[in-house]
Amino acid sequence: MSSPLDHWFERAARGLARRSGRRSFLARVGLGLVGSAAVPLLPVARAAPDAARVGPPPEDIDGPQGDVKSCQYWRYCAIDGLLCSCCGGTHTACPPGTEMAPVTWVGTCRNPADGKDYIVSYNDCCGKTFCARCFCNRNEGERPAYYWYRNNDINWCFGTKSQIYHCSVAVVLGVAVEGQPEK
Amino acid sequence: MRRALAVAACVAALAGAAPGQVPPRHDYLLHCSGCHRPDGGGAEGGVPSLIGLDRFLRAPGGRDYLIRAPGVAQAPVSDERLAALMNWVVVEFGTAGVSPRYTREEVGLLRARPLRDGTELRARLLAAPTRRAP
Repeated sequence: MSSPLDHWFERAARGLARRSGRRSFLARVGLGLVGSAAVPLLPVARAAPDAARVGPPPEDIDGPQGDVKSCQYWRYCAIDGLLCSCCGGTHTACPPGTEMAPVTWVGTCRNPADGKDYIVSYNDCCGKTFCARCFCNRNEGERPAYYWYRNNDINWCFGTKSQIYHCSVAVVLGVAVEGQPEK
Repeated sequence: MRRALAVAACVAALAGAAPGQVPPRHDYLLHCSGCHRPDGGGAEGGVPSLIGLDRFLRAPGGRDYLIRAPGVAQAPVSDERLAALMNWVVVEFGTAGVSPRYTREEVGLLRARPLRDGTELRARLLAAPTRRAP
């Protein structure tokens, strides 16, 4: 003996089956999958001017300004040290076994891909001996030691368990409205 | 027209600054966050946390100290930008804002009077009995 609830569900199920089929369901799912895969291929964003870019800065720069293992990579404009991207880390992450110093030099670098200045934090990775690979000494905007927060000759392994310097990363904190005062 | 004004007001509020001005957060990241860190937490071993910074405003002389502190007074920004920066910092990392807000004139006068011993004054302010926020 069936209840009124059973009847209601049966009617609803039969109605749904009349109005739609498995094929149409699969067709819609397939359309959704293809559509979502195709959207990134549309030329809209690629054709947009650089000024319209939003989000993190582009990394797709040709030549040394786009190579994170090259000293000429645009983010390294003020660096004086060894590139973590050559030392088992990346341009934004410390190699295993080292600790990122919380106290850093913060300045700006211009990204040639869009002509904008970005606020860059140069964090040192500390706790292992000198990496000794990819030495980079650009120091743009550096000032004498009495201007300590724009000086590269002091040990920036500050606030870490160990003061032994290993390598440096360059983390983008945001878009700069203007370049740093010292250039 | 009214809608356009409302949109403009929202955009200005989101940017945190009037058109043409540098957002205080920008100056914080560029001139302060290297030591105090982007979240204001400071670093063990010598960089004070900015969290709860507004407690200085409840101690006699604390309002002046926040501008005369070496890192603040010597920041390479104009008096106007420093006033905007510090009004923002107190709200961002404190539980209450600063009232009245710092002005360009007040900041200019305060940063022209360097502290002889900022560390000693800071310790004294932290130990002082606080009064209620105005």
